[in-house]
Amino acid sequence: MINIKALASGSKGNCYYITDGHTPLLLEAGISFKSIQKQLNFKTTSIAGCFVTHEHKDHSKSIAEVLKSGIDCYMSKGTAEALNIHHHRVHNIEAKKQFKLGTWTILPFEVEHDVSEPMGFLFANEVGDKLLFATDTYYIKYKFKGLSHIMIECNYSLDILNQNIEVGRVPKIMKKRLLRSHFSLENVKEFLKANDLSKVQEIHLLHLSDNNSDEQRFKQEIQALTGKLVYVL
Amino acid sequence: MSQNGNQLAIIKKDTVDVVASKVKEFQEKGELHFPANYSPENAMKSAWLILQSTVDRNKRPALDVCTRDSVANALLDMVVQGLNPSKKQCYFIVYGTQLVCMRSYFGTMSVTKRVSGAKEIDAAVIYEGDEVDYEMVNGRIKNLTHKQKFANINKENIIGAYCTITLDNDNVYTELMTIDELRQAWSKAQFWGKDQDVEKKGSTHEEFKQEMAKKSVINRACKKFLNSSDDSSLVMSRINRADEVKEEALLEEELQQNANKEIIDIEYDETPIQEQQAQTEPEIKATGTEGPLF
Repeated sequence: MINIKALASGSKGNCYYITDGHTPLLLEAGISFKSIQKQLNFKTTSIAGCFVTHEHKDHSKSIAEVLKSGIDCYMSKGTAEALNIHHHRVHNIEAKKQFKLGTWTILPFEVEHDVSEPMGFLFANEVGDKLLFATDTYYIKYKFKGLSHIMIECNYSLDILNQNIEVGRVPKIMKKRLLRSHFSLENVKEFLKANDLSKVQEIHLLHLSDNNSDEQRFKQEIQALTGKLVYVL
Repeated sequence: MSQNGNQLAIIKKDTVDVVASKVKEFQEKGELHFPANYSPENAMKSAWLILQSTVDRNKRPALDVCTRDSVANALLDMVVQGLNPSKKQCYFIVYGTQLVCMRSYFGTMSVTKRVSGAKEIDAAVIYEGDEVDYEMVNGRIKNLTHKQKFANINKENIIGAYCTITLDNDNVYTELMTIDELRQAWSKAQFWGKDQDVEKKGSTHEEFKQEMAKKSVINRACKKFLNSSDDSSLVMSRINRADEVKEEALLEEELQQNANKEIIDIEYDETPIQEQQAQTEPEIKATGTEGPLF
C-alpha cells in the first residue's frame, strides 16, 4: 500500500509526500517549509528523507530549511553542487546505485533535463509495491518492471503549445526549450505504451503547464490508453 | 528499374505537381508575387533533380523515407520564399521522416532584399589592428568606416564582423558582432561541444572562420529585418517554418533512438517468492493500446 499526497505540483512549486505506512518520504522541496509543515499538520519529524530531482527552485526552494529541520536529503552530486549546499544531511546518490532507507529500496536513474545531473527515482517497499517518480524530463531512457504506482510529469501537449504560439499567448522561443526539457502528453503516452502496466494501480500526472495543458483532456486520454486510475496533481 | 521509375512518377505527381498547382492558385489570387527573374517552374525542376539524390543520415533516399506531406511542404517553402536550390539558396535535409527546406545565407539575403526592398547586403570581417570607427545615433550604428591593412588578414586574429544592409543612400543598417558574440551564436549549434570555447581544429568554423563569421552576422542582420517587418504575407509565414519543423523532427528522431529502451530494476538480496516467479517468465510484453491487463 502506497499513499501519495501532493502538497504542490507545477512550475510554481513541487512537493509530494509518499508513505508505505512505515517510512514516509518527501519528494522535492519546491515550496516553503511552512507550507509543507502546515499541510502535514506539523508532523514532519517522522519523515525519513527528502528526494530532490534537480536544482531548479520549483523543486528545491526550501531545501535549506528541510535540512535544518533534521531531514536527510538525497540528490545527485551535480544537483548538490548547483545548489551550493554543504550539509552533513545531504547524501549524494548515483544513477543506478540502489540503496535502502527504512522500508524502501531506492534506485535513482538519470533523466533528461537541461540542468546538472538530474535524477528520477524508483521506490520499492517490502511488500512488493513499486513507485516510479520522474519529472522534468523530456523522455526516459529506461523501462521498468512491475510498477504499481507511477508519478510522471505530463507538462504540455504539442498541439496546445502550437496553438498558443500561433495566437501569441506563448512566445515562440519557449518552444525550443520546452521540447527538450519537459515531458509532453504525446511522449508520456509512448512511455506508458512501452512499459508493462499490468500491475499498475494508479497513475499520477505531475507538473502540468499553466498554459499548455488541459487537465480534463490529459486525464481522459491517459485513462483511455491505460484503463488505470489517473490522478492529475 | 521501371517499377522504381513508376514510383518516382507517382511521388512527383503527389508532390511537385500539387505544389505547382498550389503556387498557380496563390499567384492567381494575387497572394504571391515573384520577382521578374524568378521562375518557380525552374526552381521546382532543379529541386526535383536534387531530391532524387538526397539521402538521410543512413544513406536512404529522401524520397523513400520522407512523408509526401513534408516533401510538398518543403517545396512550397522554397517557392514561396523565391529560392532556387541550384543557386545554393536552399538545400534539403531529412530529419526522421520530415523533409525540410533549409535556407542558406544566400537565400536569407535574397529573401531579405525582397521583403525589405534592400539594395545591397554586404559583410566584412574585422581583424586585429584594423581601424574601425563609427557613431551611435538614436541607438543605431552610423557612418561605419573600416580601414584594413592587407597584412592584418589572418583568420586567427578575427575580432569581429559586421553587415550593412543598404536600403537607400541615406538609410544604411549596420549589425556588428564581436568574436565572443559570434562564438556564442556558434555554441548554440549541435556540433559545438558542451565545454568548448573555441572552434575545434578541422571543423568548418575553424577552417573557414572568415566565411562563417560573415555568414553569422549576415543572418543576424537579416533576421532583424525579416522579423521586424510587418509583412504578414505568405512569405513571412514560411520564413521561420523550417526551424520549427526541424526542431520537432529532430526530437522525434532522438526519442526513437533513446527513449524507453533499457530495462532497469531494483535488485533484491533475498528474492521474494513472487519475484522469482516473475523473473522466470519470458520478457513481459507492453500492454500497448489494447487496454489493461488485469
